[in-house]
Amino acid sequence: MRLTQGTFSFLPDLTDAEIAAQVAYALSRGWACSVEHTDDPHPRNTYWTMWGPPMFDLPDAAGVMLEVNACRKAFPRHYVKVNAFDNSKGVESIQLSFIVQRPAEEPGFGLARSEDAGRTLRYRVHSYATDRPEGQRY
Amino acid sequence: MNKPLEHPSIADPKARYRAGVLKYKEMGYWRPDYEPADTDVIAVFRITPQEGVDPEEAAAAVAGESSTATWTVVWTDRLTASDSYRAKAYRVDAVPNTGAGTPNEAQYFAWIAYDLDLFEEGSIANLTASIIGNVFGFKPLKALRLEDMRIPVAYLKTFQGPPTGIVVERERLDKFGRPLLGATMKPKLGLSGKNYGRVVFEALTGGLDFTKDDENINSQPFMHWRDRFLFCMEAVNSAAARSGEVKGHYLNVTAATMEDMYERAEFAKELGSSIVMIDLVVGWTAIQSMAKWARRNDVILHMHRAGHSTYTRQRNHGVSFRVIAKWLRMAGVDHLHAGTAVGKLEGDPATVQGYYNVCRDTHTKADLSRGLFVDQPWASLRRVMPVASGGIHAGQMHQLLDLFGDDVVLQFGGGTIGHPMGIQAGATANRVALESMVKARNEGRDIRNEGPDILIAAAKRCAPLAQALDTWKDVTFNYASTDTPDFVATPTAA
Amino acid sequence: MKNDAPATVDLAALLAEANVTDVLDRLDRELVGLAPVKQRLREIAAFLAVSKARGALGLAGTPPSLHMSFTGNPGTGKTTVAVRMAEILHRLGYLRKGHLVAVTRDDLVGQYIGHTAPKTKEVLKRAMGGVLFIDEAYYLYRPENERDYGQEAIEILLQVMENQRDDLVVILAGYRDRMETFFQANPGFKSRVAHHIDFPDYADDELFAIARTMLAQGDYRLDEEGEAALREYIARRKAQPHFANARSIRNALDRARLRQASRLFARATPVTRDELATIAAADLRASRVFQEA
Repeated sequence: MRLTQGTFSFLPDLTDAEIAAQVAYALSRGWACSVEHTDDPHPRNTYWTMWGPPMFDLPDAAGVMLEVNACRKAFPRHYVKVNAFDNSKGVESIQLSFIVQRPAEEPGFGLARSEDAGRTLRYRVHSYATDRPEGQRY
Repeated sequence: MNKPLEHPSIADPKARYRAGVLKYKEMGYWRPDYEPADTDVIAVFRITPQEGVDPEEAAAAVAGESSTATWTVVWTDRLTASDSYRAKAYRVDAVPNTGAGTPNEAQYFAWIAYDLDLFEEGSIANLTASIIGNVFGFKPLKALRLEDMRIPVAYLKTFQGPPTGIVVERERLDKFGRPLLGATMKPKLGLSGKNYGRVVFEALTGGLDFTKDDENINSQPFMHWRDRFLFCMEAVNSAAARSGEVKGHYLNVTAATMEDMYERAEFAKELGSSIVMIDLVVGWTAIQSMAKWARRNDVILHMHRAGHSTYTRQRNHGVSFRVIAKWLRMAGVDHLHAGTAVGKLEGDPATVQGYYNVCRDTHTKADLSRGLFVDQPWASLRRVMPVASGGIHAGQMHQLLDLFGDDVVLQFGGGTIGHPMGIQAGATANRVALESMVKARNEGRDIRNEGPDILIAAAKRCAPLAQALDTWKDVTFNYASTDTPDFVATPTAA
Repeated sequence: MKNDAPATVDLAALLAEANVTDVLDRLDRELVGLAPVKQRLREIAAFLAVSKARGALGLAGTPPSLHMSFTGNPGTGKTTVAVRMAEILHRLGYLRKGHLVAVTRDDLVGQYIGHTAPKTKEVLKRAMGGVLFIDEAYYLYRPENERDYGQEAIEILLQVMENQRDDLVVILAGYRDRMETFFQANPGFKSRVAHHIDFPDYADDELFAIARTMLAQGDYRLDEEGEAALREYIARRKAQPHFANARSIRNALDRARLRQASRLFARATPVTRDELATIAAADLRASRVFQEA
């Protein structure tokens, strides 16, 4: 499967130059970029591990790329994403978020169903990755 | 305008309250010297007086009939602080390009201020009963249109507003930096629950974020509402597991009674649906009830503006959609259909952008070229995600992104389901077109002009997109809009 | 040669188009003296423009190394020239942003184990796209303490200077002799720094001209005796310890302005516009520099 979270997941994986261009766009709008990674990309897994805090006040994308590369090097088989945070009034949230690394083999998710009253089904989306303990996934 | 400094109302109480009929101006509804207070509700009406009716008198009549007046003098006014309860028409401007020397009959913009105490807190029903109650049938006017309103912060603060809002919706969906993609299920009527759910499954699996019930899908002989909910949620969850993304289907909970709507909404929530929808025709009270329900239950509330064109479309009579949008933001909806400018339904681009501003701004600035007459601070009421739906397709992606930016749901119903290679292919074509366009824009390319080239380049790597572009390449809906701003001539988008 | 490459390139036009001529001319006008520095700057600009032109014409070549060292005594204009250098590199397309981040050892080196790498990286991230100006760079290296955290910063710097030459230009600055010792001990830096610019001390005349410019910027001037006093001040001050060229002059003028104000205040009569604008000999001669003679 191919995980399609993030802004550009239906496009071919971005090259470093393309990642830097998106980061440059974010910085030009005054957003702070941050890098996060995980081995459990469940759609409701809100809190990926932070690779450092958001980087405020950087003038150039190369600074962010430094951390992107460091994170990818440290976790070569994790999902890694770049977030761009906008602290302006009325937003104060992420404005752009895209995947910059994914494992070669993506195990994906199973859908567990259990029958409930009447015709009702209860659903649980299950990360196959979490079948193994942390550190042994992927 | 040169206005007399003193207002024409009769100062002597004896003369003012003598039984009989007075002009509205004389009763104190025309106050050219009045300075609206920050706490006043301000309404801008377009009035078309009957032959021989003085525009100031017409404006005063609108002020009177939408506040305290009746057709004759009543002494019981004297038991009240009637000066403060009277609405005050304080400004009348001729509408450009109307009246003598033009082919159009004379029209005027009348500015009327209402004291805050005239309205019950947190009630759109009460606000609208005053402002668009009796007055629209008033005989001395040929036609009347409510163009815009300035809602004071003091009044806004009595409303809950959108239960979720753009920011929290995106955080729940974990989708940022691009418009969301949706599609309305087609055919609108006749599919069984199982077949209907198939369309949902294909569209979401292909790459859409949302699918949608149409406005008139409720609980008909061919598909009972519970069937629809069960099959749609199977489709939503399957698509989520296959993509690893949060997906949703707007389950229409519109029904005959509030009890039925609550029952349907509760079932949707129980099944894990992130979003439900209602139609505008359920009425203001039902909308506000559902807004509170949605806030209590962490469910996004989608509003389909079914029926609005009966009173928003004509330029001289009715209520502008920008006012409806303001009321809906106050009443509390998260998604609101606000036009496409380039699709099959009515909507001049500048006017439509005005509606989007009303939905999304933290402070909407007066902008006559977009039909916005007044500054509107939003007092931190959450922001509404506008929805562009109706006759749009992947080949217009650059225009849509350029006009509306990121915070919008782009809904391609026919443009998804009508794809020659199937529904999944249609959904994929839209998602690839969208992501390519956002990426190109962020890279600094001029998408308005280079858009078609960007799409063609993306289509080289994506056969479904190539097929979509080929199928709909010549489809445009290029008709003159009936409702365009008065202050700048704006051509309809080609 | 590539097929689509143009046949000729106008080098002067290339410099002018990038508005580099403009920066160089401004430097000439606004900075007194520094003739050898200005000459080196013109040479470097020409070299970079030629490198660009070679690229445009399809001639092979590695991108030029741009890291530099600026050596000279304090107050000789190193930081000012570094700012202009960043601007030139930006205009010629060698730097994306062209800003300057000026740091010293304290900004790069931490207080405890594990503190240095994040600090150095933080500085590097801010400097990306521009110039990282490390003043008194030799303090990074403290051979007397083999567990000094400076070494960690040096290693990170060297790595970035090597691998991210498109993203960042490093300028190392400091006293000439100490920089030479530093380069001897750290061949990694020596080999990565392509351009050495030496900033000479200002001659007396130049310092005098600098003083006049500084005064004129604040709408002050010297009367005739004041000029003589300033010339004498310069000669005396240079002979004393801790002389910092233009910086010392600026400090002297600041103090002279204070004295002028006190002098005018002490007077009973109203002051004229002319008097308010004039620094007199007394304002300078009250300096310690004269008393200690």
